[in-house]
Amino acid sequence: MDKLSENQAAYYPGCALLTIDRAYNNSSKLVSKKMGVELVEIPDYNCCGIGEMKSKGAASMYMPLRNMMLAKNRLGSKNLVMACSVCYHEFRRSIARVRENKNELETVNAIFKEAGEFGEEYIPDGEARHILEFLYNEKGVDEVKRNTVKPLTGLKVAPYYGCLYSRPSMYTFTDKKPQMDNSERPRFMHDFLEAIGAETVFYGNEVQCCGGRNLIQDEETSFTLCSQTISKAKKAGADVIALICPKCAGALDVNQPKIVEKFGKDSELPIVYLTQLMALAFGFSKKEAEFGDMISDPLKALKEKGF
Amino acid sequence: MALKKQEQRPVAEKGEHIIARHLIEDDSIKEEKNLVIDGVDVSGRWNTFILSRVDSEFDRSFFREVKDTVVGSRINRCWQCGMCTASCTVTPLYRRFNPRAFIYMMQLGNLKELKKYIDVAWRCVGCYKCSQRCPKQVNPAEMMEALGLVIKKYFPEEVQSKLKVDEDVKKIYDDMILGHGRLDLAKLHTSAMQKTGRTKELLGKIERDAIFKMAKDGRAFSILRLGKPHNWNSSKEAMGNYLKNLNTIENSEA
Repeated sequence: MDKLSENQAAYYPGCALLTIDRAYNNSSKLVSKKMGVELVEIPDYNCCGIGEMKSKGAASMYMPLRNMMLAKNRLGSKNLVMACSVCYHEFRRSIARVRENKNELETVNAIFKEAGEFGEEYIPDGEARHILEFLYNEKGVDEVKRNTVKPLTGLKVAPYYGCLYSRPSMYTFTDKKPQMDNSERPRFMHDFLEAIGAETVFYGNEVQCCGGRNLIQDEETSFTLCSQTISKAKKAGADVIALICPKCAGALDVNQPKIVEKFGKDSELPIVYLTQLMALAFGFSKKEAEFGDMISDPLKALKEKGF
Repeated sequence: MALKKQEQRPVAEKGEHIIARHLIEDDSIKEEKNLVIDGVDVSGRWNTFILSRVDSEFDRSFFREVKDTVVGSRINRCWQCGMCTASCTVTPLYRRFNPRAFIYMMQLGNLKELKKYIDVAWRCVGCYKCSQRCPKQVNPAEMMEALGLVIKKYFPEEVQSKLKVDEDVKKIYDDMILGHGRLDLAKLHTSAMQKTGRTKELLGKIERDAIFKMAKDGRAFSILRLGKPHNWNSSKEAMGNYLKNLNTIENSEA
C-alpha cells in the first residue's frame, strides 16, 4: 500500500464504528475531509481489547500496539488517529506503559517476534490521537469557523465527554502537555460547538461515567448513571447531548427506551455525535450525517429547531 | 422546654453515621440508644465506641503475587488516603464497594475479610476517576482488575456461584477478542443475553424495534462484513503461549 501524503492521516476505525456506529465513522470522515485531512483506514486492524483484556498482562498491550505497527509498516505513519474513546484509552495506556517500563516493552516485543508478522521491533515513538484532540490541535477552531456554512444558531447542546477521553492523566499526559485537553474540565468540545454556532449548556455531568462497561453484567448501574446524566442535561435546557464515544452511545442512546421505561420521561433526550453536528453545520445533509441511525430520534428535535 | 425538644430528636441506627460502616462488625460497635448523664441527653452518635481489633497472621507472599502482575504493579505505593473511594462512581450506588479497603486487604493479604466482598468486587465501571485523582499514581482502577485475578485464584467456588454471569461474559469477550481479533457487537449482545438467561427479552418490543431499525438501514448486515484480520492466527498463538507460560496469577491455566 502507498505511504501517506501530507494531508492524510492513518485512522483506526475500531469494531463499533465499522458496524452499528457507522454514523460516527462516516461523519468523522466527512468533517475531517472538509477540514483538510483525509482519514485512511489501516488495513487488517484488530480489536484494541476494549478494557476486558487488562488482566491478561502484556497481551493487553500487544493488541493495541499491533495496530501501531500496522500504521507504521503499511502506511508509514508514526501516529494513529481514532474516534472511539475506549480504543484511545487502550492505545494511550499501552504506549505510556511500555515507555515507562523496559521489561514490559521487552515482553511485548517477544510476542511480536513469536508472531513473526513484522520483521522489526516495536519502538514506542508514535502517539495515539483522539479525533477531537487531533482536529483541535492540527486544524484549530478557526478552521471549523471558516468551514461553517449553516451555523446551528439557537441549538442548545450538552457536551458529554465521558470517562476515557481525558482521564487518567497518567496515560493521556493532560497535565504535562499544554496542548492536551484538561482532565477535570475539558474544553475542546465546547469550543467546537460554539464555533459552529451552537450554544453549550453547563449541567455538571460532562465527565461522568455512563457505566457502559458493565452494561451486560450490571444494567442497573448503567441505567441509573445514564438517567442522572440525561435528566441533568434536560433540566439545564439542552436540546441534544453531543458524544465522542461509541460506548457512551451504547449506554445513552441504544438503551434509552429502557431507561425511559424505568425512570420516566425526564430521562428522554436525543443523543448525537459531535461530528454529526459539525457535518450538519459544514453543509452536509442530515442523510449524509446519518442522523437517522440514532435510536433516540434527534431528527425530530432538529426539525423543531428549524434545521 | 429545651429538654423536651431533645427528647423528640430522632435517634440514629446503630453506628449509622460511621463512614464505611460495613467494614466494622456489628458486635464491635458500642452505642447506647438512650443515655442521659447528669440530665444531659447523650443518645446516638455522641456515645459511639468502636472496639479495637487485632488482626494477625496474614499471608505476606500474597502481596508479591499482586505486585508481579501488570495491573497490580503499583500496590506498594498506596498510603490509604481514600481519594479513590471518595471519587468513585460506584460507591454511592453500592456502599460496600470501597476501593481503598480492597487495596488495604490486598496489601495485608487479608483473605478472610476479602471473601465477604466477592459479590461487589467486580462492580468497577472503569471510569478512572480514582486513577486521575490518586496522589500516588497507584492506579486503583486497574487494581480492581488485580482484585478480580486474586478472587479467581483463591475463591473459585464462590466465583462459580456468585459471579457466574460476570465470568461467562468475560469468556465471551475472550473468545471473540483473542479468537477472532475483532468484536462482533451483535453476537456479543445475543450470546450474553443467552448466557444470562434473558433470551425472552430479545423478543420484547424495545429490542425488536432496535433490531428492525438496524436491519432496515443495513447496519445489521455490515456486521457480516466485519471479518477477521489476516494472519491473526499467528498473533493468537503467540499471545496464547505467552499467557500459558506466565508464572504470575495472570496465567490462563492457573
